Amino acid sequence: MSDPALAQHLLGQRALLRSRWLGYALAIATIAILPLVFNDTYWRTNLTVCAINVLLAIGLDFILGYAGQLNLGHSAFYGLGAYVSTLLIVKLGIPFWVAFIAGVAFAGIAGIFLSLFAVRLRGHYLAIASLGFAVIVHQILLNWISLTQGPLGIYGIAPPPALVIGGVVIADFRNLTAFFYLVAGFAFLSYVLLSQLVRSPIGETLTALREDEVSAASLGINGTAWKVFAFGVGSAIAGAAGCFYASFVGTLVPDAFFISEAFNILAMVIVGGMGTLIGPVFGAILLTVLPEVLRSFGDLRLVVYGAALTFVVLFMPGGLVQAARVVGEKLGLRRSP
Amino acid sequence: MTTTIVLQQAINGVVLGSLYVLVALGLTLIYGVLVQINFAHADFVTLGAFGAYFFMHLIGGGYILSIAVAFAVGAALGWGINAAIFTPLRHKGNELLPLIATIGVSVMMQNLMLAWFGPIPYAFETPYSSQVIRFAGIFVTWQNIIIIAVSTLTIVLLYAFMKFTYLGKALRAVSQDRETAGLMGINPNQLIMLTFVIASALAGMGGAMLAPVLVLTPFAGTSVIVKAFAIVIIGGFGNVEGTILAGLIVGLIESFTTQFLDPGLIDIVVFALLLLMLAIKPTGLISERREENV
Repeated sequence: MSDPALAQHLLGQRALLRSRWLGYALAIATIAILPLVFNDTYWRTNLTVCAINVLLAIGLDFILGYAGQLNLGHSAFYGLGAYVSTLLIVKLGIPFWVAFIAGVAFAGIAGIFLSLFAVRLRGHYLAIASLGFAVIVHQILLNWISLTQGPLGIYGIAPPPALVIGGVVIADFRNLTAFFYLVAGFAFLSYVLLSQLVRSPIGETLTALREDEVSAASLGINGTAWKVFAFGVGSAIAGAAGCFYASFVGTLVPDAFFISEAFNILAMVIVGGMGTLIGPVFGAILLTVLPEVLRSFGDLRLVVYGAALTFVVLFMPGGLVQAARVVGEKLGLRRSP
Repeated sequence: MTTTIVLQQAINGVVLGSLYVLVALGLTLIYGVLVQINFAHADFVTLGAFGAYFFMHLIGGGYILSIAVAFAVGAALGWGINAAIFTPLRHKGNELLPLIATIGVSVMMQNLMLAWFGPIPYAFETPYSSQVIRFAGIFVTWQNIIIIAVSTLTIVLLYAFMKFTYLGKALRAVSQDRETAGLMGINPNQLIMLTFVIASALAGMGGAMLAPVLVLTPFAGTSVIVKAFAIVIIGGFGNVEGTILAGLIVGLIESFTTQFLDPGLIDIVVFALLLLMLAIKPTGLISERREENV
């Protein structure tokens, strides 16, 4: 590499770094402003649902888009996080944040358990194995009535305790805005963590594995360990989403974690743009908001999920990210590579 | 007493199992030729059932004929989905995208059905379900006899087709090695379409016969298809004999779990078996040597 080219490259890197921090600042500002813009209960509720779905989507994207493992059972980790944390709180009276950590850990361990199949299986087999795992978890939640109350569900789950520092209430999570800040803040932190992770050598390792496992192995990359790692991280994030979901909605029924939920999360990732982190964020927001906007169409609005998924795969496999890139090139904002 | 129960449940299991075989065979055939999983297969089952239902209730047709209608509905859908989704995606050479596309199609069809047919289960009644033959303390309905007869006949015909006709042999050739088959003058695209149409027609027909035992809602197919996937894997992907065997086993597991354990445990038992199978012997009950290109 000649010197001017190197200088150009370093300048480009610095610009990229600056734009990343700018992006983070913009994201924080957006999160801060959103509940002020949408000031009715209905939309504030949807904002929190968006934040929960963003968590689910980026978690799945880490497994699917970065590690390349077709996981069709993401709803299982979501459900396990929700039920484990709630049962610990309701049955044993354990404090919320301890139960939260337990829920996240349990979901992560379940993810690691499933990854042991991923290590041996590929593509379609893993897809069915993860689907089977999700079916089993759903059926256990449904049938272990003495523990989960089955289809009757668990009611009256309390929100997280208010954040009190020195006798002053900083945030009362019975308030929708405070709850949104909590979940969105957590989603933001997870996003930053994942984006640092995928830019680190770990991310490159995972990409190498996704693109060509055999070549990666020949370079001394331990595929098994990294798949386990990706599953653990992605499913732990889904577990966190589950804990938030339970305490936000206040009710838990097993059908919230049916395999169709896994397909919805998959749609968010694909529609946004698999293998990028920012794409699934927008995919999750779009597929949460769109059915709400289309509420006047009745049940027909749910067709959006399937239609979006199908058409994106057929015509724009890169999802929203690819669409944005194409539009950017058309407008001359970005040079085509 | 116990022997009668065991015998009775064995019959129920075989009846149910042969329906699962019809559905799972389609998945196996498609996998054999295309190396693809089709999630929309579930909705061919559901739409086959609805096709039969509306044929009987709107036109006033008979039940036996409605099975043929469901067969046709499935065939037409299979043709459409292959032409619209699989054919364009096949040329992109990605393993993941067609699978995800079929999930999209499935979610779309389910929600369209939900909008049209509503969430309330339809009562699918056949005149043959109430006609019972009693034999040594065992009950067999005419419906059961129809199911066994139709599915056995279908499976035998399919087997003969694959074994003895030119098209069937060509189909097997394509599933063994698509490129070489192409060199021998076989048009893989036509055969892929044929496979799709046959597979979907079997699913539709299975739907018409499953409808009386299912809760017929737009999501009815999903519960069947997840079991069909389990069957296909337990039997070995793309393996017809394995699929038949595994289908009957799952049917028997279902009837005996219902009798001796708890109906709620059916899926757990079936999928625990699936995961166990995947952990121990991912190639299925009857394994076939398949080379893998690295």
